[in-house]
Amino acid sequence: MLFLFRTIYNMKKHLLSFLAISFCLSLYAQETFPVNGTSDKNHTIYAFINAKIIVDADETIDNGTLVVKDGLIYSVGTKIPVPQGAVIYDLKGKSIYPGLIDAYTSYGMQEPKRIFTGGGPQVESNIKGAYGWNQAIKPETDAVKIFTKDAKMAEDMRRLGFGAVLTFQKDGIIRGSGSVVSLGERRENELIISEKAAAMYSFDKGTSTQDYPSSLMGCIALMRQTYLDAAWYKADKTKKEFNISLDAFNNLLSLPQIFETTDKLNVLRADKIGDEFKVNYIMKGSGNEYQRLDDIKASGCKFILPVNFPMAYDVEDAYDAKYVSLAELKHWEMAPANLFAMEKYFIPFAITSSDLKDKKDFWKNLRKAISYGLSEKQALRSLTTIPAEMLNVSDKLGKIKGGMIANFIITSGNLFDEKTIIYENWIQGIDYKIMDYNTIDIRGNYDFSFGPERVLHQLKIEGEPDKIKATLFLDTTKISVNAVVAGNSISLSFNTKDANGTIRLSGNITNEPIQMKGTGQTPDGGWINWSANYSGKLISNTKKDTTKKDALDFGQVIYPFCAYGKPLDDHNGFDKYLTAFKTRYEAVLIKHVTVWTNEAEGVLKNQDVYITEGKIVRIADDITAPKLSFAKVIDGTGKHLTAGIIDEHSHIALSGVNEGTQASSAEVRMGDVVNSEDINIYRQLSGGVTSSQLLHGSANPIGGQSALIKLRWGKSPEEMKFAKADGFIKFALGENVKQSNWGDVNSIRFPQTRMGVEQVYYDYFIRAKEYDAKQKAYEALSEKAKTAASPFRKDLELEAIAEILNKKRFITCHSYVQSEINMLMHVADSMGFKVNTFTHILEGYKIADKMKANDVGASSFSDWWAYKMEVKDAIPYNAAILTKMGITTAINSDDAEMGRRLNQEAAKSIKYGGLTEEEALKMVTLNPAKLLHIDNKVGSIKLGKDADLVLWSDNPLSIYAKVEKTIIDGQIYFDNEEDAKMRIEIQKERARIIQKMLDEKKGGAPTQKPIFKKPQLFGCDSMQEDYLNNEE
Amino acid sequence: MRKQILFILLFLPIITFAQTKSVLIMNGTAHLGNDSVIQNSIIGIKNGKIILVADAKTANFDKTAYDEIIDAKGKNIYPGLIAPNSTLGLTEIESVRATNDFREVGTTLPNIRSLIAYNTDSKIIPTVRSNGVLLAQITPRGGLISGTSSVVILDGWNWEDAAYKTDDGVHINWPTIQGRKFLDEDNIFPGPFEKNKDYIKQTAVLKKLFADAKAYNETDVKVETNLRFEAMKGLFTGTQTLFIHSNAVKEMVEAINFVKQNKIQKVVIVGGKDSWMITDLLKQNNISVIISRVHDLPTYQEDDVDLPYKLPYLLQKAGVLFCLNNEGDMEAMGARNLPFMAGTAAAYGLTKEQALRSVTLNTAKILGIDKTTGSIEVGKDATIFISTGDALDMKSNNVERAFIKGTNIDLNTDQNDLYEKYKKKYGIK
Repeated sequence: MLFLFRTIYNMKKHLLSFLAISFCLSLYAQETFPVNGTSDKNHTIYAFINAKIIVDADETIDNGTLVVKDGLIYSVGTKIPVPQGAVIYDLKGKSIYPGLIDAYTSYGMQEPKRIFTGGGPQVESNIKGAYGWNQAIKPETDAVKIFTKDAKMAEDMRRLGFGAVLTFQKDGIIRGSGSVVSLGERRENELIISEKAAAMYSFDKGTSTQDYPSSLMGCIALMRQTYLDAAWYKADKTKKEFNISLDAFNNLLSLPQIFETTDKLNVLRADKIGDEFKVNYIMKGSGNEYQRLDDIKASGCKFILPVNFPMAYDVEDAYDAKYVSLAELKHWEMAPANLFAMEKYFIPFAITSSDLKDKKDFWKNLRKAISYGLSEKQALRSLTTIPAEMLNVSDKLGKIKGGMIANFIITSGNLFDEKTIIYENWIQGIDYKIMDYNTIDIRGNYDFSFGPERVLHQLKIEGEPDKIKATLFLDTTKISVNAVVAGNSISLSFNTKDANGTIRLSGNITNEPIQMKGTGQTPDGGWINWSANYSGKLISNTKKDTTKKDALDFGQVIYPFCAYGKPLDDHNGFDKYLTAFKTRYEAVLIKHVTVWTNEAEGVLKNQDVYITEGKIVRIADDITAPKLSFAKVIDGTGKHLTAGIIDEHSHIALSGVNEGTQASSAEVRMGDVVNSEDINIYRQLSGGVTSSQLLHGSANPIGGQSALIKLRWGKSPEEMKFAKADGFIKFALGENVKQSNWGDVNSIRFPQTRMGVEQVYYDYFIRAKEYDAKQKAYEALSEKAKTAASPFRKDLELEAIAEILNKKRFITCHSYVQSEINMLMHVADSMGFKVNTFTHILEGYKIADKMKANDVGASSFSDWWAYKMEVKDAIPYNAAILTKMGITTAINSDDAEMGRRLNQEAAKSIKYGGLTEEEALKMVTLNPAKLLHIDNKVGSIKLGKDADLVLWSDNPLSIYAKVEKTIIDGQIYFDNEEDAKMRIEIQKERARIIQKMLDEKKGGAPTQKPIFKKPQLFGCDSMQEDYLNNEE
Repeated sequence: MRKQILFILLFLPIITFAQTKSVLIMNGTAHLGNDSVIQNSIIGIKNGKIILVADAKTANFDKTAYDEIIDAKGKNIYPGLIAPNSTLGLTEIESVRATNDFREVGTTLPNIRSLIAYNTDSKIIPTVRSNGVLLAQITPRGGLISGTSSVVILDGWNWEDAAYKTDDGVHINWPTIQGRKFLDEDNIFPGPFEKNKDYIKQTAVLKKLFADAKAYNETDVKVETNLRFEAMKGLFTGTQTLFIHSNAVKEMVEAINFVKQNKIQKVVIVGGKDSWMITDLLKQNNISVIISRVHDLPTYQEDDVDLPYKLPYLLQKAGVLFCLNNEGDMEAMGARNLPFMAGTAAAYGLTKEQALRSVTLNTAKILGIDKTTGSIEVGKDATIFISTGDALDMKSNNVERAFIKGTNIDLNTDQNDLYEKYKKKYGIK
């Protein structure tokens, strides 16, 4: 390591004795830099006596001595002899803390700039040289090579008590290495403590102008492929290419791996990558981890957490307040409890000042977190030993211990106390003055009098102890006072209306209680006396010192964290009982209901249906109520029970939908970006939907891998996934993939015609076939032969396509006109696979005979047409014709709005084409189940099937039918009665928090204007560049 | 050539008259559109007008006085539905620019008239008509003032024939206080919502325009003709309606203040997603609402999940005059779903007759055409249809016959032709 290029020349006797009792100083490193002028070698020993020394969070030495020499801590303890010739500081009444460490900064880095290369798509990287193919992958970046000290920021950080930081270039998905540097003001060479301390990652492509990736799922796929490529590159002995990026990436892998996340769900997403490649990331959190603590805990990750709590909203205007969502209100209230929640859950974390708009808020916010329950011990650990351990520098930083770097701060008392002053910040054995030892903290309210009248006025002093801001209240007028404190003297000057000029006062401060007294001159030259007596503390914006002991007075975490989410059945908002939701029943019995079985029995009247352990176990005339404590009996008289609606084509519950930058994005997985916090999940439940296939968009011929979820509202993304379902992939044809409606600028990416689309498929399938053969041949080799052979490069894109050929993955293809449908069936035929489902398929009726012959399924819209050229001939009779031709046909939504009334869309095929009611219902239940290969579990009401059911107020195909209960796995996820109650609760909860915000505003807290954040709705055509901005 | 023209001239009037023969519809359930139902009804049509509406059991009528007798036993008879605020006939295929005629260049264009661009031969119109929608208010889009609408019947050789109420109103898009920022020039990539910095400027433009136009129309001394001002004259004299397109409560309140100041007599809010919050204000000022699409998602996460479905009921309960419309994505072709939006409104609070009224008589009142259409009443136009089942429910909506001003309407569509063609190809029923 490069720290401390110090040379010791004069080994004096007393020093030798020191060496004997402490440790061997062997720093004979010599410096390389020539000296301009006389050299200024300094080996002064500093001794701090009578101090309270906080060695670390668990050890405190009262009345201790600390000896520092040559930038290192020499010794520390109670009975330490003060060496001769030492400069002695008596710190009686003062405390010494280890210097704080910020594990997440861009200190001394240049702000990365995005250089636009002009309009139009950019398919390839524009970085010249032997680098990797993607501009957002920058493992070759080394912070140590670009670090230059920044006096201004260093000073700001030192004022907060920080002595060392991790710094890195905040740019790209893989960002290279970060360095631990000191916040001192010496030459950069002497500031580097650990040149490669950590490898840095994120889901943000940063300044990359390359199109790929344009989505979060694209980022994830790119990262996975990079791991695979790097491993292959390393193993390949006969390298045909030298790749700076992959080479650098392999070198990063031995470092601590730090991943920046912007949302709790992104933590889970990053962790999933980590699990795949056996990396346990240190997560840079965003501050909303408390919203899914169990899953966060289960990740097993360590965290670096910010203290940037949201500002209150200005909610005085009732109309404007509507723009602030319940989630935002609750997050404002609960965010300061994030650190407490993490501590309570024993999740290790460091604290960073990053993400703060104004670094000065660091202590204010940290103290707020402490008032919300974070322990001071944990706070100290999180700022010292934990970051030091995370960054592998715990032998040098984080404690006050012999042999470690002399980074420490001298304070007036408990570091976490509001009144405490940081006097000095010693970094590498050099003192940086922050505040004079004699500074008296005079912030507070005063009874102030001046002149002959001796009338008392209020004087308010705030700001920093050495940079105070004073305000004088003369009757009703507020006068700003120019005030300067230096040691024990103070001067005040201000203008009053009466005085016709400036009154200047000077005086002396005496402490405990604080009193100020002195004389001054009026504008007319007369001398007057003045005095100010301390009358009380400032009313703090953060206030509530009492919260620490009281039961927490912030609301409960709701799952998911938005309106219509529900709290868990617990006491203080964080503990999760195994009983999960309040609405969880061990058994449900629905009596006297009309059952639409979707089976040979047809529609059965006046039946009882018994559900337990998530399954339909009995359908009979009369079933007696179960004697279980958590059983629910529902009277179904006059009501209708159907299988849950299955939406074969949906884009709800996703953080991003299209990775449309390349003709194929087979490597991306919708399963990576399931968003459990989308209100549209609840809205679909209110329309009887129990399962949705979440599809990639239709921007390219080969889209991404689909995700199938059950709408288990409140559960985590992984818990929502349909277990053991077959994998699907989205294909697309026609105008979207040839970018017909994207403007003239988008005429570069291949293909631009239907002719090109066919060739994309042939090209990919032929390559995938060859890839698969190669892989199989490689796998067939003996272990010995494998090591001798050149390694096999796993390609996620071809892998997915090979899965289609191996019948392990199935195609849902967006399609409209008959020519292209025919084309794909031909490609499939000749390449040896089958198209599972044509979706949209609005001209399917023109080619139904061929579809039947090819045994493909259809999932269509009921009556959409005329929105683009390729749907000119779309007819509402399509679904009926396909059904009559014996093709398994479903009706889907592709639209969050229509998704919640798919029963109505199905019913249109009664009107258009004369299907029976039962046939129509099957198009949104059993038929999509068949298309998705899950009809053995869902899609009909049959003994042994999953209890995914909907209770309707009326005939389910009637416009007048309303959903009363939506049941998934035997649990009620939507309940119209519960819903009515929740509406009231939501308004109550909003009102409660709004009142709190109003109080804060009255107390003088700054507020922000409410801005409506409408969640993005996705359809097939949705493009998305700004997923990070929209992450909620 | 000349012969051909003569031939057409000779036959044209005959064709028209041949279709307005007198008709007697017997024994059907008549939903009059004014909340009443006659279970076993008798309805007489002559010369394009309704001449008889009565209970079959008690009425006196002469069967022989009619050219055609329709037995509607077990069937339902409705007044023709009206689609207000529609781009029907102004667009054919949304993504093909050449087929779009609803948005002109410019921000304040009261003199732009939708009627003359209304394409009576649009392939979309028959598909809408065949579900019971027989009239529409053809409305331009875009800008601060999009232009002047007209009401048409969905039948006619050309726009002149189709015109039912020409230039019925001027349409303002009230500026939004917050709007979605787009990240690119083509408005493809939606960005975050932000405050509309130009809100004050945009409302000032409207205020000035109205003040100027009012002054212009009140004075006799005109230096030069101003087409914009001329087009607004009816707003001040009360012959035209001002349609203000606005959804957010704050903006609606400001818009209402604006019309009060300008003493506009006839005002309708179009959209009004938040209108349930200001029903008293609307009533006090005699302002009706063309409610935004019923089949929509709630605006806010916290909203009642069925808020758009029950908004009609909320206004009904509060006594505000309202009707339904279908503005939004795929609006022209989606106009055929107007009856089902009424059906949904009925599922969420309205009675079925109130729901029907919200797409017939209420709409007629709001558009100022209720004297001649909007309900089945003697003296009104014979613009009615017969459905075998409940027309507001898609599973039973089946329009067998429709008359517009007494003319028997062809209910066939190109879509139907394709259906028949392929049924034949496959030999299916």
